[in-house]
Amino acid sequence: MTSPVVYWACLVLTVFVSCSDEDEPTLPVNRYEFRVPENFPQPIYTFDNNPVTKAGFDLGKALFYDPILSRDGSASCNNCHIQATAFADSPVHPLSVGVDNRLGIRNAPPLTNMAFFPEFFWDGGVTHLDFVPINAIEADFELDETVENVVAKLNANKKYRDMFRDAFDIEEVTLPYTLYALSQFTNMMVSANSKYDRYIRNEGGSLTALELEGLATFSEKCGACHSGELFTDFSYRNNGLDSTFADTGRNRITALNSDIGKFRVPSLRNVALTAPYMHNARFKTLEEVLDHYDNGMVYYETIDETFVNQNGLGIDLEETDKAAIIAFLNTLTDFDFVQDTLFFRN
Amino acid sequence: MKSTIKFLFAFLAIASLGLTACNKDDDAPAKDPGTLSILFDNKLGDKGISLKDFGDKTFDYTDANGQAFNISLFAYYISAIELEGPGGVKHIDPLKVTANASEVTGYYHVISTTPGSNVINLSGIEPGTYNKIRFTVGVDESGVQEGAAGGVLDPANGAWFWNWNAGYIGFGVEGNASNSGQEYVDWGNGFETLEGTYAIHVGGWKDVEPQPGEDPKFVNNIKVIELDFDSSIKIEDGLSPQAHINVNFEELLKGIDFSATYAVHRPDLGKPFAEKLVEVFEFDHVHQ
Ligand code: HEC
Ligand code: HEC
Repeated sequence: MTSPVVYWACLVLTVFVSCSDEDEPTLPVNRYEFRVPENFPQPIYTFDNNPVTKAGFDLGKALFYDPILSRDGSASCNNCHIQATAFADSPVHPLSVGVDNRLGIRNAPPLTNMAFFPEFFWDGGVTHLDFVPINAIEADFELDETVENVVAKLNANKKYRDMFRDAFDIEEVTLPYTLYALSQFTNMMVSANSKYDRYIRNEGGSLTALELEGLATFSEKCGACHSGELFTDFSYRNNGLDSTFADTGRNRITALNSDIGKFRVPSLRNVALTAPYMHNARFKTLEEVLDHYDNGMVYYETIDETFVNQNGLGIDLEETDKAAIIAFLNTLTDFDFVQDTLFFRN
Repeated sequence: MKSTIKFLFAFLAIASLGLTACNKDDDAPAKDPGTLSILFDNKLGDKGISLKDFGDKTFDYTDANGQAFNISLFAYYISAIELEGPGGVKHIDPLKVTANASEVTGYYHVISTTPGSNVINLSGIEPGTYNKIRFTVGVDESGVQEGAAGGVLDPANGAWFWNWNAGYIGFGVEGNASNSGQEYVDWGNGFETLEGTYAIHVGGWKDVEPQPGEDPKFVNNIKVIELDFDSSIKIEDGLSPQAHINVNFEELLKGIDFSATYAVHRPDLGKPFAEKLVEVFEFDHVHQ
């Protein structure tokens, strides 16, 4: 009841009819509606083109868990993105493993809160969520299949033809609708119910003294890059992992020497679950990560200037700072999300 | 209930608009909207292009530097077509990106493997006299950032698309050259690149403002071409005017050294070719 025209109409017509919302029954919460958590920024995904529906979500889920997307039927999206780790890879796969057990070059990131991301992958090469799965399907170390074949296989499958008809009212399966369905499923993976969230939204949760100290230290020492409620500013930076780069990161996209060795600042939501860490899975634990920031960095000319100071490279951290930061990072784990039956394989 | 009221008001609003709009109709041209066929004539110099298979070393063209080459495959996107006339009349071909192939409008893929794709038929053009055409070569940000798309923008349906640096290949040409530095590559699963071939793919659509003092981060290879007709054409219902535009691959490949430049698959490498697109597209003639 916000449009002024309709509002005015109500005033005029009140004599005849009631316009009030009050007598409408409250509907049960729609689990298939995309909702923006109160403390989050506005989403970037083009929901006008592809709104989430139950049928579209269910189809996306079926595709996500189905090895039909791979060349030899051996791997699905779920091979590298599992719910228990907020849809990051399993810790036993530091670098993702695809068809024929071939190793990928990068650690699979979690898939939470994708609707709020401006760019995808460690190098930001993909600029719309819909286009991400084309890479996964066609990369020879991931699913090693062509999109043409995937579409043909789906069209030959009655279950899928029915599901596409239900979801999109189409008789023939096409790639863009396959991508729409996968995006509907991933877009719903909003993770915003951690202990930290309940504290920050004043929902009755509180943080311990140590966690609060960690939050303060984190904001001061890490907040320049891991900023905002998603704990990333989505920029590309070099945090001193290497001095030579087989994988040149952002440079692969921009071709600039000044981007060699830069990777996207990752979101730290659910970070306690997403080990190993960094694009190349360098560290197994958060302790190792903090030791790296404290005194493990190596120099390459693109290293972020934040890390260059009189005492050498890195961020000065006392052992007590590290413990507090880790206590805080642990509050970013969203146990509701990793147990949410909505995302369970049917 | 709410929607009934909205509907009622919408109806009243439309009805009253209709009444006030009526007197304006007097100045409007009496004719109905017309059509225009745009023909892209693909050429290599002054000859048409005769496509040769990959690996076919019969060269029908030798450039100014003595490099013999041929063409096996080419494709380019034309989008955002606009027509203008001297009297201020204007037609904008509407752009729409959606998964629904039948609703995708305004994007055209001229591709050598699809006969007839070089003819674009526009309709619904406001009647009048036109003498200028403008169009985009490639698919710009507004098209890419709408997400998955059907029809000529569907990678499973022949769209030329870069996955790793997502976006459409605006202009591409491939073939064989006597001195190409390309060696044989077996990509597995039946995909291979033959020795002596070349592939020039021009893509890249991102415009990111560099930080002060920093190099530009992205190469935007999207080009807008504007061509004047030598004479005006009349567009209205019942007429079938045509505009012929030459697409001269000689201009695109002018100055290339195939021994060094035979695999162009990145925006920065494609930039020199994108800069030549204004020479590649040239007005030829119009007729009623
Ligand atoms: C073999 C392992 C593997 C498979 C299978 C796989 N992915 Fe991924 N995924 C990755 C890796 C590795 C990355 C990071 C790639 C990079 O940065 O270059 C990634 C990145 C992503 C991202 C972007 C995340 C971000 O933060 O930018 C999304 C979304 C995604 N995958 C969805 C999918 C979907 C949907 C499927 C199934 C169609 C799939 N993946 C299959 C390994 C995999
Ligand atoms: C100058 C920017 C910057 C600052 C400051 C910074 N980081 Fe990072 N952080 C990054 C980048 C970039 C990466 C990814 C690097 C890569 O993979 O190559 C990263 C990765 C991480 C990761 C790994 C996450 C994952 O999923 O793999 C953790 C954890 C992390 N940072 C925590 C911290 C903490 C804690 C601090 C403060 C002590 C901090 N960062 C300060 C830029 C920064």
